Amino acid sequence: MRRRLSVVVAAILAASVSGAVRADGEKIAVFTKNQTNPFFQAVRLGSENAAKQMNAIVFQYVPTKPDSIPEQMSQIDDVVVKKPDAIVFTPVDYKAMTPGVAKMNAANIPVVNITDRAEKGSFITFIGSNDYQLGLQTGRYLLKTLGGKGNIVILEGVRGVITNQDRMRGFNDALKEFPNAKLLASQTGNYQRLQALQVMENLMQSYPQIDGVMAANDAMGMGALEALEGAKRTALVVSINGTKEAIEAVKAGKLLATGDYHGFSQGCLSVMAALRYLRKQPVPKEVILPVSVIDKSNYQPYDVAPEQRGCPKWDDMVKQ
Amino acid sequence: MNTLTLPRLTLSAEFRTVAQRLLAVIVLCIALSLLSGAFLTVGNLVNVLRQAALIFLLASGLTLVILTAGLDLSIGANVGLSACLAGSVIQASGSPLLGVAVGLASGCMIGLGNGLLVTVLRLPPFIATYGMLWVVHGLTYWFMAGATIHGFPPAFRALGSGYFLSVPIPVYLMFVFLAIGIGFARYTTWGQEIYAIGANPVAARLSGIPVNRRLVLVYTVSGAMAGLASLIFLARLNSAEGDIGEPLTLPAIAAVLIGGTSLFGGVGTVSGTLVGALILTLVLNGMNLLAIDANWQPLVTGVIVILAVSLDVLTHKGGTAGR
Repeated sequence: MRRRLSVVVAAILAASVSGAVRADGEKIAVFTKNQTNPFFQAVRLGSENAAKQMNAIVFQYVPTKPDSIPEQMSQIDDVVVKKPDAIVFTPVDYKAMTPGVAKMNAANIPVVNITDRAEKGSFITFIGSNDYQLGLQTGRYLLKTLGGKGNIVILEGVRGVITNQDRMRGFNDALKEFPNAKLLASQTGNYQRLQALQVMENLMQSYPQIDGVMAANDAMGMGALEALEGAKRTALVVSINGTKEAIEAVKAGKLLATGDYHGFSQGCLSVMAALRYLRKQPVPKEVILPVSVIDKSNYQPYDVAPEQRGCPKWDDMVKQ
Repeated sequence: MNTLTLPRLTLSAEFRTVAQRLLAVIVLCIALSLLSGAFLTVGNLVNVLRQAALIFLLASGLTLVILTAGLDLSIGANVGLSACLAGSVIQASGSPLLGVAVGLASGCMIGLGNGLLVTVLRLPPFIATYGMLWVVHGLTYWFMAGATIHGFPPAFRALGSGYFLSVPIPVYLMFVFLAIGIGFARYTTWGQEIYAIGANPVAARLSGIPVNRRLVLVYTVSGAMAGLASLIFLARLNSAEGDIGEPLTLPAIAAVLIGGTSLFGGVGTVSGTLVGALILTLVLNGMNLLAIDANWQPLVTGVIVILAVSLDVLTHKGGTAGR
């Protein structure tokens, strides 16, 4: 923490003293967790968009086996040898990648940590969303819409994954605010569509009346909707991530709401932060993107492909 | 020895082995009906069958591969690519029939590729299909680029979520392919030859069985069944993304082995695989009905699978499973 702060202070000092701007063409390595989750695709698109805008080059590093710890570790080995100017890093596991972070730090390559906060290591900054708030606010939105009462089911993500832990805390705290709502079951769909569908089918057998579903990601929310539709039953479903599919489902009136995880903006801002650091401009020690719940009333701005969206402006997103 | 005496298995022998294996299913069902009032309802049983259908269809073709002492690790990746190709064709053309054709063709081609790698290049099946897994994953990721395809016409959706006489369509498909599988393995020369290849490939070759052609056949069938499973998947979930199939690979292999088919080949039944698929499905169903804490679910799954197979071994001492 202290070290991170001092890095920021040093950067600000350097910027104010010299005021010099480095030449363009910096090379930035971007690490994401997998090639399959649309969220990380949005992160990559955002990073490329920002790099293009600021005349830098990004190289994407993605494990071929989704979320593979050994694979990301060996990619770090490769990158440390190639020595890019900066690294944008999402750990596939916030604890297990600590040795990898240590390697990048030892090589003196500046690192921007995004999406999942790494447990240890020194970073220029952290850029991410707040999973707890996402869970709390989408959960709260569902319960408010239900009038503060009803039978609720939670579909959990992968146990032990930090995003899931925080989102679950959020969901459960939202439930505490509404004592008349009843949590029937909290079961894991492992962030997978098929499992969420099957779990929902099974739960509908035990519970004749389910009023609301909180799903820890969009794929599971969509799986739950398919299960409900198949059983000709209805319940309000909320999920998290704000993927294209979920936004279309909100538009079609199927999904009640999805919490925006800002994949594209995270990608944009992380590359901007790395470049600002390299170009001796100030970077705050963390940028937490505001949580917004996307529903029928406000989905329009999201209803475009992320690649057509264009990066947000740094000064609009980052309050110095 | 230049004539091979095949262990001509009769239908009654098949019933006997499956009845033994069903013991674990019955014990599970009794336990669950005592623990949860919701278990023994028509709705839930239909549910279990429909969920088992997907895993059975995938595992049924694999059973033939494992009977030859082979393995197909690429089935999950195959489901992923076939679903994505079929899905995008349906969306582009609006024709479910064309999509079905593309899905099945993609499945067959991947299976055929495996068969050729195993026979022409003589690669060990594990390596051949493991390599294929990555090739297919790579193609899928490249094709999809992280996107999700979703929203298909109702005519196609019926394949996965439709009913006929209040029984889900995938359940009919499961029983149709069960019957085909039993008939093929028991009553055709080709089926018997597959057992012979698994039991003793050298003897099989010496006795004039075209071993390579039969191997290409079983891998292609396994691929085709993965293609079919991908269509059911697509129709049930109404969407496709790159990684959908991967979580299915290990459960499918487990279903075959829990069902009594030996990894060493020559021993096993397609109906046993149905039992394996049912056990795996019942475990998830039971855990959800009883609302078991997610932290305990992996442990419970493991213990029940081990108990189910132990029960079978204990009640069937001495004999090689499945004979």
